[in-house]
Amino acid sequence: MVAVAETASLGHEIDRSAEPLIRARNVWKVFGRNADKIVGTPEAQLSRSELRAKHDCVAAVRDVSFEVWPREVFVVMGLSGSGKSTLVRTLIRLIEPTAGEIEIAGQDVTSASPTELRQLRRHTSSMVFQHFGLLAHRRVIDNVAFGLEIQGVSKSERLARAEEVLKLVGLEEVGNSFPDQLSGGMQQRVGLARAFAVEPKVMLYDEPFSALDPLIRRDMQDEVIRLQHETGKTMVFITHDLPEALRLGDRIAIMRDGAIVQLGTPEDLVGSPADEYVENFVRDIPRSHVLTLRWIMRDPRPGEEDGPRLDVRTTVRKAVSLIAGSERPVCAVEDDRVVGVCDKEAVLTAIAGESD
Amino acid sequence: MAAVDAARLPVAAPSPWWRSRNALVLAVVAGMLLAFFGWRNELLWPASLTWNALSHHLDDFQTWLSNNRNVAHPSVFFRAFNGLADFLDNLVGWLTSLFFKLTWIGTTALGVLVVLRFGGRKAALGTLAAFAAFAAMGLWEPSMRTFALTFAAVALSLAIGLPLGVLAGRSDRFQRAITPLLDAMQIIPAFAYLMPVVILFSVGRGAAVVTTMIYAIPPAIRITALGIRGVPTNTVEAATAFGATRWQTLLKVQLPLARRLLLLSVNQTILFALSMVVIAGLIGGQGLGDVVTSGIYSDPALALIAGGAIVVMAIALDRATEAMAIRTDPTHRHLTESKKRRLRIFTAACAVAIGLAAGLGNAFGAGSSWMRWSAQPWLRRQVQAALDYVQNPDTFVFHITNPVGNFIVKYGLVPLQSFFTEVPWPAMVFGLALIAFLLSGLRPALVTVAMLALVGLVNEWPQGMDTLSQVLVGTLLTMLVGIPLGVWAAESRRAERMMRPVLDVLQTLPQLVYIIPFIYLMPVSLVPGVIAAVLYAAPVVIRLVAAGVREVSPHAVEAAGAFGATRAQVLLKVKIPLARDAIMLGVNQGLIMVLSVVVIAGLVGSGALGYDVAQGLNRGLFGQGVLASLAILALGIALDRVTQGRSRKRLGEMA
Repeated sequence: MVAVAETASLGHEIDRSAEPLIRARNVWKVFGRNADKIVGTPEAQLSRSELRAKHDCVAAVRDVSFEVWPREVFVVMGLSGSGKSTLVRTLIRLIEPTAGEIEIAGQDVTSASPTELRQLRRHTSSMVFQHFGLLAHRRVIDNVAFGLEIQGVSKSERLARAEEVLKLVGLEEVGNSFPDQLSGGMQQRVGLARAFAVEPKVMLYDEPFSALDPLIRRDMQDEVIRLQHETGKTMVFITHDLPEALRLGDRIAIMRDGAIVQLGTPEDLVGSPADEYVENFVRDIPRSHVLTLRWIMRDPRPGEEDGPRLDVRTTVRKAVSLIAGSERPVCAVEDDRVVGVCDKEAVLTAIAGESD
Repeated sequence: MAAVDAARLPVAAPSPWWRSRNALVLAVVAGMLLAFFGWRNELLWPASLTWNALSHHLDDFQTWLSNNRNVAHPSVFFRAFNGLADFLDNLVGWLTSLFFKLTWIGTTALGVLVVLRFGGRKAALGTLAAFAAFAAMGLWEPSMRTFALTFAAVALSLAIGLPLGVLAGRSDRFQRAITPLLDAMQIIPAFAYLMPVVILFSVGRGAAVVTTMIYAIPPAIRITALGIRGVPTNTVEAATAFGATRWQTLLKVQLPLARRLLLLSVNQTILFALSMVVIAGLIGGQGLGDVVTSGIYSDPALALIAGGAIVVMAIALDRATEAMAIRTDPTHRHLTESKKRRLRIFTAACAVAIGLAAGLGNAFGAGSSWMRWSAQPWLRRQVQAALDYVQNPDTFVFHITNPVGNFIVKYGLVPLQSFFTEVPWPAMVFGLALIAFLLSGLRPALVTVAMLALVGLVNEWPQGMDTLSQVLVGTLLTMLVGIPLGVWAAESRRAERMMRPVLDVLQTLPQLVYIIPFIYLMPVSLVPGVIAAVLYAAPVVIRLVAAGVREVSPHAVEAAGAFGATRAQVLLKVKIPLARDAIMLGVNQGLIMVLSVVVIAGLVGSGALGYDVAQGLNRGLFGQGVLASLAILALGIALDRVTQGRSRKRLGEMA
């Protein structure tokens, strides 16, 4: 069984009334010489191995659409080779998408000129990489200031800002060190600081913690959650680690063979996996840690609405003691309104389901 | 899925032993031998297939060139070449006179303090020792001239090589376009492009610089491209993701991170340039090279001492540049502000000291070169005594070298020479083409045919075949020496440690310097060239074989050990078969290197193609010289193609 902390999503509000900050529509990326001739034809429906055999092409991303709202943490999860890293790169055209439309902060990325694209990369987005991508020949502080240097910010200004950000990630002591003098975890903090320094609207994380050992990885996840609370950035987070995805994501897209097989909240995935593939993934996740009352409640019968009250977004695990100790079913509340009730039986069923 | 794929593959039937590649090559050789014994001397390259007038045309062209070059108002074309030659000549002249104006004190201070500032104390001491050695050998002036020539050639090679290397590192298309050219530049023996260079630039320091540059630019390009390609892609991607322009990525990420290899490319360019010093001496590049070439007959002891001076210079420059590369590496230096300030003061102090040394030198009339005292007469006597000793038929050395030399001639050179020159030419052309086909594929085979036809067409068939026989004997000996020593070096750390300094020195010695002692050691006309070629090529073969054997996957070796294989079994059944590509590459490189020395040996009595080039240079027989150069080029390409193997492509793709 895998230990999972409660989802972090309770802490911040996502503004879904505004326009989405990132919008990807029918994005394709096909590698290979005949890549242009596949999308839009019936051939695009071929499976991965058929496509490779018949056209010598690899469809890394197939017809992916999603939207990310401001302040949301959007996680893309999949095994290696599922196309998730390619997907995040197509968002700012580090890899050119073969087809589809991408929009970031109201700007059409797919049709952007080289200059527009550069401006977007400089000011709107920034990225954190799996292998850090730090410059070995520069001090930590110069690495953090790199994005600002590229923008042409004056030296004193960018160093002042870099110092500020280093403080934010708790590295103010090592500004004059060189990357190779730091541990892996600290190096990735430098990577985080570098990304934050340019004050982007969108942060892209490409498996940032995969190269770190598990304990450090947890620290770094906490760090991301903390930074998310403090700065309220919109994030697209790529990972192959389901607990990490559940921990960080407001919504999670699960990718397989280049396509999204399910897109939903952590509860959606754990509570109602779309297919066997997703089910296999979430099998070892303790459901009570992820599912909230919303998933186990039933409609209240008359007279049940005055029991003990709990927020409908409380996880089952946290609700267990109250429900078990109460004579009457517990009421799930949303906006001061009772939307359902949970009794002992519902909790037991949810927990029993974990041992399947 | 993998199972399905595997099922679809037809199972290869084990082919019988007589269809193995080695057996087929042997069969081809047997066929050629049969042709040799059956139709010996009957089918020589026919006169109808040669273009005899070509030589005259070339002579006419040369006459026309020199007539037009030296008229009062030459055309734009000649002005460009003359201008370039003059510019290069002036550059070297300016540098030389700078060193002389600084006086020997100032020059020494310049060299030592620059190395001290950037490379540290140890490297500076080495540089000081090198200056002392030039003084002691009585070769101060030629050394300074050679250094000026090398410095100019290296600076220009880098000015061309580094930008092209960066381009090749960043663009796959440019890399693909330039690779065959670089290959060709490295296959061609330097001796072969002397003639064209002399014709275009006429004899002088300009021609010497150009020759050196042709040789030194390819490594500069290759290593630079390698460095740019070696920059971690994630760092470059990160820069792009932050919106860096191509220039920003290049200047802030790629160049700084490729620093180590960029400096290696400087280092290698210097060493390549120095190894051309002697050849440059043949065409008017003054200095040590001149001392060597003019001393071959008149004063071999002095020529050897000058060769030693070149080696001293090579080692000192190698150590100094390496030390500078390491000491100035920002990733390992971690400079603080106070350290930076101290360094700045140190730099200023060094500059003042150099100026002071030059000023004092001039004030006290120290003279442009060190002339006061030298150990040269003594050294010369010692070296001459050694040369006399080995030549003396009464000594035991003679009893070793003479029979060895005779043996090589009697059982190696003579039979092979007669085989190559007397075998029917179609058997030779198609035999080699078949071997090329079997070892390397169809295209190399076609290239081989074309190149051999070219040798015949320019009327150099007999000389070409003569050269080929010498090359084969040399390569055979190189392999006999190189493969066992390479395997030994891979197997034993001690052996490797013992061999390394010897190999280092052998690799830095200029080609012609090898030959000199053997003219005395083995006074049989062809042998010195062959032996020198073996010594020149063996270090590279030893290193390639050692690297190949050492790189055999440890898992395979471990597995063999787990099955109880003895060390000999592991070596014979696992390591050597798996290192076959490296050994094949060793054969290939060995052939090319042996060829480059064998043709130079034409200067000292090896005859064949090298002799024709030497005649062209010394006697003004330009047409013949150019044709012989062409034939050398064709032979080089043919030999390379026959043995390039099928693996080169794979190795190239991996790199």
